[in-house]
Amino acid sequence: MHLNYLANIGRYIPEILLVILMVGLILIEATYKEDEKDRRYIFITAIIGLVATFVAILFNMGGKPQAIFTNSIVIDDFSSLLKLIMVLGTIAVVYLSRFSKDIYETLKTEFVIMAVGILIGGFLLASANNMLTLYLGIETLSILSYVMASLKKNDERSSEAGLKYALYGGVSAGIMLFGLSHIFGVLGTIQFTGVAAMIPNLTTVQMAILMPSFVLFFAGIGYKIAAVPFHMWSPDVYEGSPTPVTTFFAIVPKIAGIAVLIRVTSVFFTVESPMKVGWIGLMLVVSALTMTVGNVTAIGQKSVKRMLAYSSISHAGIMMASLVMIGDVGIRAVLFYAITYLFMTLVAFYITSIVQDKYGNDHFDRFSGLIYRYPWMAVMMTVVMFSLTGIPPLAGFVAKYNILSSLINSKFYTLAVILGLNSVVSAYYYLKIVRLMVLKQPESEEAIEGFGFLNQMIIVVMTLPIFVLGIFWETIMSFANVSKLFIN
Amino acid sequence: MSSIYYYLAGFLFCTGLLGTIFKKDLISILLCLELMMGGVSLLTVLFSRSTGVLESQLLVFFMLIVSACEVAIGLSLIIALYRKKQTIYTDDIKIITE
Repeated sequence: MHLNYLANIGRYIPEILLVILMVGLILIEATYKEDEKDRRYIFITAIIGLVATFVAILFNMGGKPQAIFTNSIVIDDFSSLLKLIMVLGTIAVVYLSRFSKDIYETLKTEFVIMAVGILIGGFLLASANNMLTLYLGIETLSILSYVMASLKKNDERSSEAGLKYALYGGVSAGIMLFGLSHIFGVLGTIQFTGVAAMIPNLTTVQMAILMPSFVLFFAGIGYKIAAVPFHMWSPDVYEGSPTPVTTFFAIVPKIAGIAVLIRVTSVFFTVESPMKVGWIGLMLVVSALTMTVGNVTAIGQKSVKRMLAYSSISHAGIMMASLVMIGDVGIRAVLFYAITYLFMTLVAFYITSIVQDKYGNDHFDRFSGLIYRYPWMAVMMTVVMFSLTGIPPLAGFVAKYNILSSLINSKFYTLAVILGLNSVVSAYYYLKIVRLMVLKQPESEEAIEGFGFLNQMIIVVMTLPIFVLGIFWETIMSFANVSKLFIN
Repeated sequence: MSSIYYYLAGFLFCTGLLGTIFKKDLISILLCLELMMGGVSLLTVLFSRSTGVLESQLLVFFMLIVSACEVAIGLSLIIALYRKKQTIYTDDIKIITE
C-alpha cells in the first residue's frame, strides 16, 4: 500500500507544475536588482507556466474520478473544471497587473508570485477530500491574501484593508477549526471518504453536537466567499487593495470557496437525515440574506469598484442558492454560473481598472460619455452590465435562469422569488453605469492610454464568451453535465 | 478526570473569541487569536485521545504551524500600519468609511 503512494502522481501534475512555477518565479525575481523597472521575464514565465497548467488540467479531464495520496485529494471533472476557471482568471489578472498603475512597479512581480501561491491554495481546496487538505487549502489561500491586500504599502487604506482581512480571517479560521474538531470528535475520522455512510447511524446526541459544529465550520468557508454574516471585510478590502488584487479576490478565492462548499454539501448531506434539513435551511437563509444585502448596499455606492464588490457578494449568494438543491442539478447550474461569472467579472474590472488608472479614482462620473470616446469599450461594458443583471440573450441570463428553473423544480419557491426580485434591484445600479456612459457628455476629451488596440482586443475577446455562452449554452451545459462529483 | 481538559479547551477558546471581539489594541487581539487556536488544538488532541484515531494529531501540527504563520503576517501588517499612523488602537485606525 505504501508503495502505491506515488503511483497516481501523474494526475497531480497541474499542482506540481504550479509549485515549480512559484519557486521558479521567486528565483527569477531574485536575479533582478531592487530598482529594476522592467521585469518582463517574470510575466512571460508566469503566463507560460499558467498556460502549461491549463493544458495539464485539460489532460486530467474526462478520466475516471480518483482519490489519490491516501484519499486526501480527489481528482475529478468537477474540480478540474473549477481549476480551469481559476487558472483562466489568474492568467487574465497577471496580464492586467502588467500595465495597471495601481500596484507599485517594483511590487508587481511579488503580486504575480503571490497570485500563483493563492492559486495553489485554490487547487488544494477544489480537490480537498479530508479536513487536513481543506484546512491547508483555506490557509494557503488566506495567508497570501492578507499580504496581497496590503500590497500598496505606502497607502494607509491598503495596509488597513490587509490588517482587517488578517484579523477577521484569523478569527473565522479559529471558529472553523473549533467546528472541524467537533466534527472529528463525533465521526472519529478526518477523511471525507466513507463519511456519508456513517451519518444515518448517529444517535440524537451526536446529531445535536454535529449540527452546530457545521454552522461553526460554515463560518470559515462563508468568510472566504463573503456570505452575509461574514461579509463585513469584503467591501473594505476590495476598495482598499489595488484593482488587480480586487479582481483576483473576486474570482479565485470565491470560486474555491464555492467549490469546497459544494464538496462538503455532497459529502455530508446527501443522505436523508435531520442534519440535511438543517443544512438546507442554513443555506436557504444565508443565500437569501447574501443576495439581498449585497444588492441593497450596492445601490448607494459612489465608487464603481465598491459597487462591483457588493455585486460580487450578491453573486456569491446566487451561487449558494443552487446549493440547496443537493445533487447534480444544482452542481451543474453552479458550474455554469461560475464560468459566466468569471468572464463578466474580468471585463467589468478590466475596464474599471483602466479608467481608474487614468483618473486616479473610480467614481461613477468617470464613466460619463465613454461611448463618444471609446465606443467599443462602452459597448462591452454595457454588455457585461446587462449580462450581470441577467437580460437575455446574454450568458448571465442563462446562468440565472438555470438556477431559477431548478429551484422551482425542487419547490423552493420563496428563494426563487427572492432571487427574481434581487435581479430587478440589481438592474438599478448596473444600468446606472450604462446610463452615464450613453446619455451623458464626456467630462474631458483626453485619451485614456490604457485603451490601446491590444487591450481593446483582449477585452472584446473576453466579452465574446458572454455572447457565445448566452446563445450556444447547451454545449457547455452538456459538458458540465459530465462533471459529476466523485463521492464514495 | 480528563473531562476537566475539555472544559479548559472550551474556556481557552471562549476567552480568545471574546478577547478578539472586545479588545481594543491589535497586539492583544493577536494574542487572543493565539489563545483561541490553543484551545482548538487542545480540543483536537483530546478528541484524538478519546477516539483513538491518530490522524487528527497531524491536523494539530499543521494548526500550530499555520497559526504561527498567521501571527507573523499579522504582526508585520501591524508594523506596516504603525509606521503610517503611530497607533495600534483599533478606534484610531478607521480610515475606510462610507
